[in-house]
Amino acid sequence: MDHSEATREVLWNIGNVWLMYLMFAVSAGVAAYGLYIRIARWRRGREAVRFDRPAERLRLLLRHAAAQGRTVRERQAAIFHTFIYTGFIILTIATTVVLIEHDFGIPVMRGAFYLYFQSFIVDVFGALVLVGVLIAAVRRLFVKPKKLVYTDEALWILTAIFAIAVTGFLIEGWRIAATRDPWGSWSPLGYMVAQISSSVMSEGAMRTAHLIGWWTHAALVFGFIAWAPYTKMAHVVFGPLNIYTASLEPIGAALRPIDFEKAEVLGVKALSGFTWKDLADFDACTECGRCTSVCPANTVGKTLSPRDLILDLRALLHRAPIKRNANGADGGASEDVFDLPIVGVVESASPESLWACTTCAACVEACPVFIEQMPKIVDLRRYLVMEEADFPDTMQEAVTSLESRGHPFRGATASRVDWADGLNVKTINEARDAEVLLWVGCGGALIERNQKVVRATAQLLEKAGVRFAILGREEKCTGDPARRIGNEFLFEMLAKENAERLNNYGVKKIVTSCPHCFNTFRNEYPQFGGSYEVYHHSEYLARLVDEGRIRPVTADERSITFHDPCYLGRHNGVFDAPRKLVQIASRRGVVEMEQSRATSFCCGGGGGMSFIEEPKDKRVNQERARQILATGADLVAVGCPFCLTMLEDGVNARRGERDVRVMDVAEILWQSMNSENTEQTKDYGTNGKKPGD
Amino acid sequence: MNIIVCLKQILDPLIPVRDFRIDPELRAAVQGSASLVTNIFCENALETALQLRERAGGKITVLAFGAPSAEDSLRKALAMKADDAVLVVNDGNVHPDPMAVARVLAAAIRKIGAFDLVMLGRESGDWGAGQTGGLLAEELGVASVSFVDAIEVADGESHLKLHLKRQTDTGWERVAAPTPLVVTVTNDEHNVPRIPKTRDVMMSYRQPLAKWTLDELGIDAAAVRAGGDYYRVVDLSIPVRETKCELVSGDSLEDKVSDLAARILQVTRAM
Repeated sequence: MDHSEATREVLWNIGNVWLMYLMFAVSAGVAAYGLYIRIARWRRGREAVRFDRPAERLRLLLRHAAAQGRTVRERQAAIFHTFIYTGFIILTIATTVVLIEHDFGIPVMRGAFYLYFQSFIVDVFGALVLVGVLIAAVRRLFVKPKKLVYTDEALWILTAIFAIAVTGFLIEGWRIAATRDPWGSWSPLGYMVAQISSSVMSEGAMRTAHLIGWWTHAALVFGFIAWAPYTKMAHVVFGPLNIYTASLEPIGAALRPIDFEKAEVLGVKALSGFTWKDLADFDACTECGRCTSVCPANTVGKTLSPRDLILDLRALLHRAPIKRNANGADGGASEDVFDLPIVGVVESASPESLWACTTCAACVEACPVFIEQMPKIVDLRRYLVMEEADFPDTMQEAVTSLESRGHPFRGATASRVDWADGLNVKTINEARDAEVLLWVGCGGALIERNQKVVRATAQLLEKAGVRFAILGREEKCTGDPARRIGNEFLFEMLAKENAERLNNYGVKKIVTSCPHCFNTFRNEYPQFGGSYEVYHHSEYLARLVDEGRIRPVTADERSITFHDPCYLGRHNGVFDAPRKLVQIASRRGVVEMEQSRATSFCCGGGGGMSFIEEPKDKRVNQERARQILATGADLVAVGCPFCLTMLEDGVNARRGERDVRVMDVAEILWQSMNSENTEQTKDYGTNGKKPGD
Repeated sequence: MNIIVCLKQILDPLIPVRDFRIDPELRAAVQGSASLVTNIFCENALETALQLRERAGGKITVLAFGAPSAEDSLRKALAMKADDAVLVVNDGNVHPDPMAVARVLAAAIRKIGAFDLVMLGRESGDWGAGQTGGLLAEELGVASVSFVDAIEVADGESHLKLHLKRQTDTGWERVAAPTPLVVTVTNDEHNVPRIPKTRDVMMSYRQPLAKWTLDELGIDAAAVRAGGDYYRVVDLSIPVRETKCELVSGDSLEDKVSDLAARILQVTRAM
């Protein structure tokens, strides 16, 4: 047979074709309206600039929408979603080919293209859709992972897709059999249906079945198109859109400043406080639950669930009218849902949940459609803190201490310079020509255990011949805890004050051993007049090692794992520098934990949470300690004062299981410089207590 | 009810011990890097006043006598929702004695006008003299109740009368007193100072705040500027803490125990 003649008759056996066009028009109209009302509601949100830098956005779209960058991270989802997703694309292309052939009269459905693509490939991908739907159904009905949301809607979606695919194969088979299509075997599944049907059905029966089947298939397809925008299937449109309009900044730069002169409400009280992009986030959600499954607070059994927060806010959004309700102002039944206070109305936005977030942003990192859950939690906290002054007592103490003392540790007994006793460390006032400012941080200066880290760092810098200085008693908290707790006002005051001081001293380069300070300087101070070259001490020390200015002479024999601090790794993408330090200072290198690098699990200390006493059976640091113990490592290296104290507490609580030490990378490096440098590393493990404990 | 709450701004009492310095010439603490805060008992007094106003209505005026920086304490009080604020600027001796302070406060209160209740902290966290409240009552010629931690307005009285709960060495006393009255307030779990709302902090900087000079008060301003003549600090020093380590000796456990017991007896007798 000559392949070049291969084709099939479009709309064989079908009369009253106008009805199909009518169905299509109605279905497209209903679908368009569904998309319109969602978008119209977003337009009630505040401004956000998310269509700039198109080239970067397009790259993001290709990587994460087209190539499913994050979706495929999970094995089950990678399989079933890829099957359904690619099937949809291929079948849509195939339908478009039919449209071009039939409605535009351009003969494309011919020859090899017809056989290879339109028949064979389309059949294979159609089969993959069926397999994908079955895997998804088995997962939903039998495997039942905890992170999913079990709705009837989800099951109906699977049923609809399954029915569409099955009817498609049936009518293909009946057409092949009834027309004795010479090219039928190029469509393997359809051909199989044809073979079976022709052995049990007469040609007339097959024609009738085809006619009924075809209209059923059409009704299902058009019905599905009409219905989809009203369901989570809207992610087919809103997912890619959300990825295109995602934040292009590092996660560490996700929090927005507030214009205190203009803001009517501080923080987000109601939906009206969100930007259009926040509202679009709600509609993009596919209910996959990955955010909640990686949330440290949720993992240890706290009520916080980023997934539920997004879904509850979406449900609230869908209750809102698409235009401001004119009668809303005077209250009553007609009150605009857009103005309802979220905390108190939305169950998943309870204070208990909001005050469990460590702002680790594992949720943000996990989301396949780039929803930004964490900044919304901080927005809600801002309202509670600044408008209601309603937040946990121990956090209030930290904030009050920040206000009056410039550090969050109430009752700290050390001064800002005690850590440098016996070292030749100068203040910037004494050493104006210093090339680097060593930013000590409140944790480094005031918590006994962390002082040793700063000491090691300073000694390493000195050994490498770096001309550095400190601010000494003039140093004040960068404001990170204030900002994460939600006191943006206090943060702004501290940021402006610090930036002014640093600018007055002409500081250009900052090195700090605190990732929170690091993130704040790097991503947040530029908005408050402070632009500096900022390094985490691990980055700077790694550079000194590269330049040969630091040469380790001994190697640690122990098995070492590294815990990525959220604000260094996930928030700022620094993963390799601290590992490199461990690598060169130890004999065995880094044993990785299951959750490491971008998917690292928080120590539990971020977001102001180190100022909260967690319930004994729900402690994030103990869960992380469990993961550390599971590696079999003797030592866990860290790069953050909060991680250091949290993890020390965590491994100490699990002491009975195995003895694990916690050390900062700078301490490990300093120890490797000289076998006698053990002054730094003797006998800790029990003194990780914070002042005020 | 007209309530006047007196606030004192002091050096942060929570500075690290190693940062605490004394100026031997001035016989006073050196500020150094310490911040200035409102005396905690004064904040307890303000919180008690705010709660009283919530229940009984009225107006709260906050009053401070101190350096221009004391404006910060008053602004914070305004943020906590006090109604009015008055600062009597101290341009003389920075550590006037309690009598001088009481005279200034009394004069300022007379200038503010009629009052039902004057509230102060039981003592300040810097000098801890604990005398200003009583002396102020004397100056104003009204009764005073000290160490109060709760105040209620008595119902059904034709004349405004207050029920007060005061802490004593052995427990509590409940007393009733007619107004006008001066009370000194101590801390309790119910009068932990509230955190002001940020909105109110922002607004507090736009609120009026009266600043009076000593000369406006019709008192002997020169005597106040000199620091008063009621008492003077003769000497001031930071206690030196000594620790001594002795090792218990003895061959057997019994010997060690008796040696230990002997040493304990020795130390306790010496005390």
